[in-house]
Amino acid sequence: MAEVVQQDGLVLNGLTKILGGRVIIDDLHLVVNKGEMVSLLGPSGCGKTTTLRMIAGFLIPDKGDILLDGKDVTTLGPEKRPSAMVFQNYALWPHMTVFNNVAYPLKVRKMQKPEIEKRVHDALGLVNLMHHKDSRPGQISGGEQQRVALARALVQEPDILLLDEPLSNLDAKLRVKVREDIRELQRRLGITTVIVTHDQDEALSISDRIAVMNNGKIEQFSTPQELYDRPETEYVANFIGSLNHVTGGYADGQIVPGSDVVGIRPEDVHFSNEQVSGSFPATVELVVPRGHFCEVYLKRADVELRAFISANVPTAGKQGFARIGKALVYHDGKLIRVA
Amino acid sequence: MTTVKPVVVAESLEARKASRLSVLGFFMALPPMLLVICFVGAPILIAFTFSLGWTTGPNRVVSIIGQEIHKKDQWWGTFGAYKDVFHDSRFPGDLRTTLLVTLISTTLVLTMALGIGIYQRMIGGRIASIMTILTLVPLFVPVVIASWAIHTFYAGDGFMRTLMSHFGIDFPTLTSTSTAIAIGTIWTSLPFAILMVTSGLQSVPDALIETAQDAGAGFFRIIRTVLIPLALTPIVIAGTFTAIGIMGSFTIPLFLGPNQPTMLGVEISNFFGSYNRPQQSIVMAFIVFAAASGIAFIYIWANVRSAKQSGRI
Repeated sequence: MAEVVQQDGLVLNGLTKILGGRVIIDDLHLVVNKGEMVSLLGPSGCGKTTTLRMIAGFLIPDKGDILLDGKDVTTLGPEKRPSAMVFQNYALWPHMTVFNNVAYPLKVRKMQKPEIEKRVHDALGLVNLMHHKDSRPGQISGGEQQRVALARALVQEPDILLLDEPLSNLDAKLRVKVREDIRELQRRLGITTVIVTHDQDEALSISDRIAVMNNGKIEQFSTPQELYDRPETEYVANFIGSLNHVTGGYADGQIVPGSDVVGIRPEDVHFSNEQVSGSFPATVELVVPRGHFCEVYLKRADVELRAFISANVPTAGKQGFARIGKALVYHDGKLIRVA
Repeated sequence: MTTVKPVVVAESLEARKASRLSVLGFFMALPPMLLVICFVGAPILIAFTFSLGWTTGPNRVVSIIGQEIHKKDQWWGTFGAYKDVFHDSRFPGDLRTTLLVTLISTTLVLTMALGIGIYQRMIGGRIASIMTILTLVPLFVPVVIASWAIHTFYAGDGFMRTLMSHFGIDFPTLTSTSTAIAIGTIWTSLPFAILMVTSGLQSVPDALIETAQDAGAGFFRIIRTVLIPLALTPIVIAGTFTAIGIMGSFTIPLFLGPNQPTMLGVEISNFFGSYNRPQQSIVMAFIVFAAASGIAFIYIWANVRSAKQSGRI
């Protein structure tokens, strides 16, 4: 077992969790700095929610340690941890008003009534819901319920905020709005936050760093930009963004025979009417409009490629030249070269 | 015009279809409604008029056979039979016994159902499952058999006294006491109450309990502030059904209860059959009915509360 790291923020040290005889989390290591917002990103069943539930205290790891600001909280129950969680379905108590939902953690802590009122008003003000303080959860919208859940978590002034797919029940437009609100609040309050999501857009847009999970392990833990530009494994490259996935080698802007895997982002494929260095003749096979850009299927002598083109979109059947701007070369699933 | 016409035709077809469906629905609901009106509603109405001294029509024969029949002396009737009952020295004791057994048994049934339900919801595991299954056993034992089993168990020459006498303990004879009625009614009422209460508690989502834990609440606070309030409707319904069932019970108090005072279910039967005083027995039945209506009001309140909480009204 690796040694315990003593530092502020959250440290997961060699976490292992077995459920129903299956290893769900396998020797997981993660360090979240104080004030940082980290996403656990991965497909369903990769272990991200299990990890979050271990951080919250709802599950006790079979092996490993959880440290919060240097304190070992591995075996503490959720009621004793300095964390607050926002659940996927918000989990607001339907028999309590919005005010009482937010006030509950403070009443549990036996705070004085004036102090409770002040802090609840502050928290509701933070999420712009003061006008709904006397409403019941069933009388407000999904987005507002989500904000109440957030206020209930924030009113506890936790050392770490845990968000379990908090936006997955919202429609697309509201999701963007609420995620911006969450990010803005998190930055303003400087609260250490771990968010679980399977939505890469969500993770890329609000995280300081992202841990991409697969089969109970972290495949890569990097900033969004690094994750996108330099995915360390083929799995991460496929999971984050779109990818042209070609078996072979890569040399002088061309795909050559070989046993490696070459990954090319569609936005790194450029089409033009004139030949430039590294470009080769290509035919436009198909053009699919995708809103603010078009997905263009190109056929070259060495490879068929997808390109994302937003300006001067060619029409199907047009002849021109296609150039690969950047290629990621993987051997045995690991990145060996960025060309 | 040519573009509007098909829409109008379609709307008219829709309206006719809806109208046909509503008529069909009414006729489907009619047989049970008629059954209730003819075999429940009408007898209640006729019995009520009889209690007020209306002795003609359908009440004629019973008023000829029965003793101490009061005939109406006002246009609306008479309270003669009611006065008889309230002046009868047996009635206050019977009413007190009925209400007391109902209150104590219902409280104990709900306490046990909540205890087992909460244990299963919050802790779970094999023992909780076995306990729940065991508590459902009485559901499949007929009340008559259960009553005699309890009778032989607690009688003067029963199992408990025999067993305890081996240890030099003079175990009290419980048969022919209100305690035996309470034991019997708890035995018969517990399975249904457990089914209702347990399903109510199980339907509280885990996330609502976990959120309370996350907010720092301990075991008992979660039960008090989250679990019970959220399952209050099925708990109240279980309580009202149990109370109404116990209040109107007959077999158990007849087999296990004392002769006097006894529960009103038995006394109504005595007045109707043994004492041949049908008018007074119907008055007692209406008094039990009035008490049960009070409990039914709580049932309605619980349903309205549930509907309000879920936004249905």
